Amino acid sequence: MGTIVTIDVYTSRDATAAEIDQVRCQLTAARAILQRADEVFSTWQPGSAISRLRSRAITVADVPAEVADVLSRCAVARELSGGWFDPWAMPGGVDPTGLVKGWAAQRALAAFTAPCISGAIVNAAGDIASYGSPGRGEPFRVGIADPSAPRRLAEIVSLTGAIATSGSYERGRHLIDPHSGRPAVRVGSASVTGPDLGLADALATAVAVAGEPGLAFIGPLDGYEALIIGLDGGRSRTAHFPFSAPQ
Amino acid sequence: MKRAPIVISATVAGLAGVLAFHTTPAAISPGALPAADGGQPAAPASRAAPSGHRSSSGRPAGAASPASRAAGTSGETRSAVGSGVDYSYGVISVKVTVSGTRILDVGIASIDDGGNPHSESIDQQAVPVLEQEAMQAQSANIQAVSGASYTSAGFTQSLQSALHRLGLQ
Repeated sequence: MGTIVTIDVYTSRDATAAEIDQVRCQLTAARAILQRADEVFSTWQPGSAISRLRSRAITVADVPAEVADVLSRCAVARELSGGWFDPWAMPGGVDPTGLVKGWAAQRALAAFTAPCISGAIVNAAGDIASYGSPGRGEPFRVGIADPSAPRRLAEIVSLTGAIATSGSYERGRHLIDPHSGRPAVRVGSASVTGPDLGLADALATAVAVAGEPGLAFIGPLDGYEALIIGLDGGRSRTAHFPFSAPQ
Repeated sequence: MKRAPIVISATVAGLAGVLAFHTTPAAISPGALPAADGGQPAAPASRAAPSGHRSSSGRPAGAASPASRAAGTSGETRSAVGSGVDYSYGVISVKVTVSGTRILDVGIASIDDGGNPHSESIDQQAVPVLEQEAMQAQSANIQAVSGASYTSAGFTQSLQSALHRLGLQ
């Protein structure tokens, strides 16, 4: 798949050699989680469980537990998004890719439990899961790339938990409108913040496809906020999107 | 532009777990460069503390210690270029520069695209995820960037090859 995942671990003081070893072990565990997710869910590998499900070589009854878990989360996300996120409406068979990257990154973050850690952040190609603080109890500050100039920052967010951003400029993946079956280009990008990256990932995809009407299904979700950067560069958002205060 | 220390892990074909810690004050600022003679990085210039916050520990900014020192690895700066790998529009090779186990810089060493016009968009989006590190270094006190990013399997494979040549994978 070629996705690069970066993991930053923060400690509140210099770590001892033993503590570093502990974090290294947890890094190994995190990598195994990401590796396993790739093996199971890669639609590019014909032998993966998801590919075999899509080709009907196996049925839902035969899939590994993780696939059943992810599909059930996809069903929840489909319902919460009013059908704007719908892995079952994708060409080629059920495709949970819009949720899996975030789901896997959130699980990788959970590997980092060492007591010396004050905060940790897992960044899966722009989908980010975090806990704790980079230092002094302050929240993480995360930039959102400008969809019209991706090396520039459009906004800065004060992050508690996760943020996912979806945009029509993603490589090789047109955002398909489940209602029409055709690519949708209604926004520059859509970002969703909230406690769980898997759900945020799915909801960001849904809002990117739906455009401004998508804000209406994010608003009622406790803990989740959304920001749209429009094709014209304009902003629209839910009421409490966590912009960072100017420094 | 020097990037903040990062950990790299890959969902495909295991890149080395290059591990770096950040300790407060925040990570290395753009102005800090590794010593040319291969010694430890110069003490990073402290980022301005947010107003109203003063460090009660009194630790000087220069005392932030990269994990590479604690782990006893060399701080020597080394570079390698990975094998050319086919990507969508031609052949790409990636150059990586490290100090000990810490990645300092990643860039495209060469693209041979046969003049394909699509490669211009590759160039603009090149080094995509890790460019985010450069963006972080440019901006005041952010730790990550969110945004749909282009990631090429060819880029990742060549990066992996370069790290292998440095003995880091």
